[in-house]
Amino acid sequence: MKPKQKNRFASLLDSEKWSSVTIPALSVILSLITASIMLLILGKNPATAFLSFLQGSGFVSKPGYGGGGGMLTDFFTYLNVLAPMLLASLGFVMAFKAGLFNIGIAGQMLAAGFLATAIIGYSGLSAWLAKPLVILVGAAAGGLLGAFVGFLKYKFNIHEVVSTIMLNYIISYLTGFFINDRFADSLTRSMKICSDSARLSWTDVQIAGMKCSIPLGIALALAAAFVVKFIFDKTVFGFELRAVGRNPICARYTGIKVGRRIVVSLMLSGMLAGLAGVTYYCGYYNTIVPKSLAGMGYDAIAVALLGNSSPIGAIFASILITIFQNGSNYMSSTLGVAKEIASLITGILLLFSACGGYFRYLAHRRLERAVDEEAQKAAAESDAPEISENGKEG
Amino acid sequence: MEKVFIDGLSFAAPLFVMAMGGIYSEKSGVTNLAVEGFQGFGAFVGALVAVMLMPILGDGSQTVIYIAMAAAFVGGGIYACIHGLLCVKFRADQVISGVVVNILAVSLTTFLTSAVNKALTGGQSSNKFILGVSDRFTIPGISNIPVIGALFKNMYPYEIVIVVIAVAAWYLMYRTRFGMHLRACGENPQSVDAAGGNVTRTRFIAVMISGALSGVGGICYAYSISANFSPNIYMGYGYLAIAAMIFGNWNILPTAAVCLFFGLAKSGGYQLCLGMGLSSNYSDLFMMLPYILTLLLLTFFSKKNHPPKAVGEAYDAGKR
Repeated sequence: MKPKQKNRFASLLDSEKWSSVTIPALSVILSLITASIMLLILGKNPATAFLSFLQGSGFVSKPGYGGGGGMLTDFFTYLNVLAPMLLASLGFVMAFKAGLFNIGIAGQMLAAGFLATAIIGYSGLSAWLAKPLVILVGAAAGGLLGAFVGFLKYKFNIHEVVSTIMLNYIISYLTGFFINDRFADSLTRSMKICSDSARLSWTDVQIAGMKCSIPLGIALALAAAFVVKFIFDKTVFGFELRAVGRNPICARYTGIKVGRRIVVSLMLSGMLAGLAGVTYYCGYYNTIVPKSLAGMGYDAIAVALLGNSSPIGAIFASILITIFQNGSNYMSSTLGVAKEIASLITGILLLFSACGGYFRYLAHRRLERAVDEEAQKAAAESDAPEISENGKEG
Repeated sequence: MEKVFIDGLSFAAPLFVMAMGGIYSEKSGVTNLAVEGFQGFGAFVGALVAVMLMPILGDGSQTVIYIAMAAAFVGGGIYACIHGLLCVKFRADQVISGVVVNILAVSLTTFLTSAVNKALTGGQSSNKFILGVSDRFTIPGISNIPVIGALFKNMYPYEIVIVVIAVAAWYLMYRTRFGMHLRACGENPQSVDAAGGNVTRTRFIAVMISGALSGVGGICYAYSISANFSPNIYMGYGYLAIAAMIFGNWNILPTAAVCLFFGLAKSGGYQLCLGMGLSSNYSDLFMMLPYILTLLLLTFFSKKNHPPKAVGEAYDAGKR
């Protein structure tokens, strides 16, 4: 009976239907175990640590709150972080399905946030005009950058990983220069704050006596997730993108214009990254620190890989990873562990997610072996019934 | 003008050793975007050893840097095992693995740096290891040659070490049986298998060498140029090294020339900025120069290049 139990686990990992859920779940469990071991080595209780991550994100109430704050405050802050995280990971998924790696999300976010703040953030337009314009500018800036990367890949055969990383640094320095030269706040040395009418979050809203900042981006992000899902599942265009991702040479033979698909997929990816940028820099924050790229641009890759590079998976994965990222400050203050441990957990999660294919391969091999053994047993049984009696007992 | 050469060379040498790391891995058929992570982790290990040793050997001691370089060599090599395991053993996607290794390196070193600092100083958690700056020296004689002579003035000791490593690495790759196998693994791994070589082992060792060389590059930046180890080590020089490798067509000597060109472009841009008397704000614009040059040059060279044929594929013994 015992080997059957083991095989049930293996068949869960290998089944067509469930492996998209079980493999990421296994990665999450393994990385939580690793994180717990690290916390134990540091002499901290892992259970309190994970609880404080949840408390910091407003899922569980804290023992005490400052003036005007509450659990909802934390939860809405969490949603404020979740929105750009989800959008950024959708951006990665969009390109990844077509076999492209958009590592430039951080740069595209920064460019979009900078342009939106500089063009709309100081214009003094009314909220009804400014907010859609911010979204529009963000999407346009990100989309143009993405299309440029796609163009370089299509026309000059430059690997998108190298070109996006170069662009990340170029954007970082370029915006840094303009912020320092034109838009710097004389006190904080970061960009002058984006006006509230253009900001994609309603700040200081009172809900049940608690001050909350309500993100508009979260609705945008969830809608985007379903749009991306629709594109890939239900449209010819999405199918062609997936075909290019699976095998570009085969796709070319079937008459798909591979080069154009590459450009368009990177453009859409950049647009989503641009949306992430405006919800991050003109929503969650309202300013930009010069010459610093958001770590979120890289965390988004972890989210996308953990979510099996599917848009719906990305929703769940971003919920999980944002808990770690957003709760890290509170965790650090209660336990005294450096808050960098949050990114470390993300990194380990990423490591195990990258091994996902191998886990599945192991499970598959185990099942095949079990089938072989059974076949051998059956063969032995039909040849010599006496031996099989002994075999059953043993 | 002299300053351009001096700074250019001191920037180019570590870049070159990192690019060489990239070459080793890619020539064996493993795509290596992890150079950035390798150099950071190598630098971390080197810096950690240096910080531990400094109180023992005294602050001014110059032997620390050599020990730190050795530690970075070993540390980078060990860290590269992750990439090797993922790509060679676990057959994960090599580009994903590279990105994962980079992200993990950033978070791991940042976390460990603050944890170690906390343990060493008690309470104070800064994310920096303060390191020294190595002495410089001038080679008498050659340094008096006009223009080119400046390359031999005010040299860091690591520049000599890197030249020695480069010669050794070149010899290993082009003049030994192992190097032959390594290059064949990148072109036609099945033939290595047929000839009695071990593709898995060769590739794994190649990735480890790659990590070790990158680690040396990292500690050079940390120890001498920025004089500390902090998350700022992840400036994207690893990616710059990859770009240099691509122009260099995966060959060691042309790559060295490209690295030197990058170094001179960077220091030249900076001196130009100073020379024109612009405010420090403008230095940001000149800092973009190496990255823009990379993109520009890539547009010209990417199509003509011949990367190793089997790069990026997990080895499949049954494939024809």
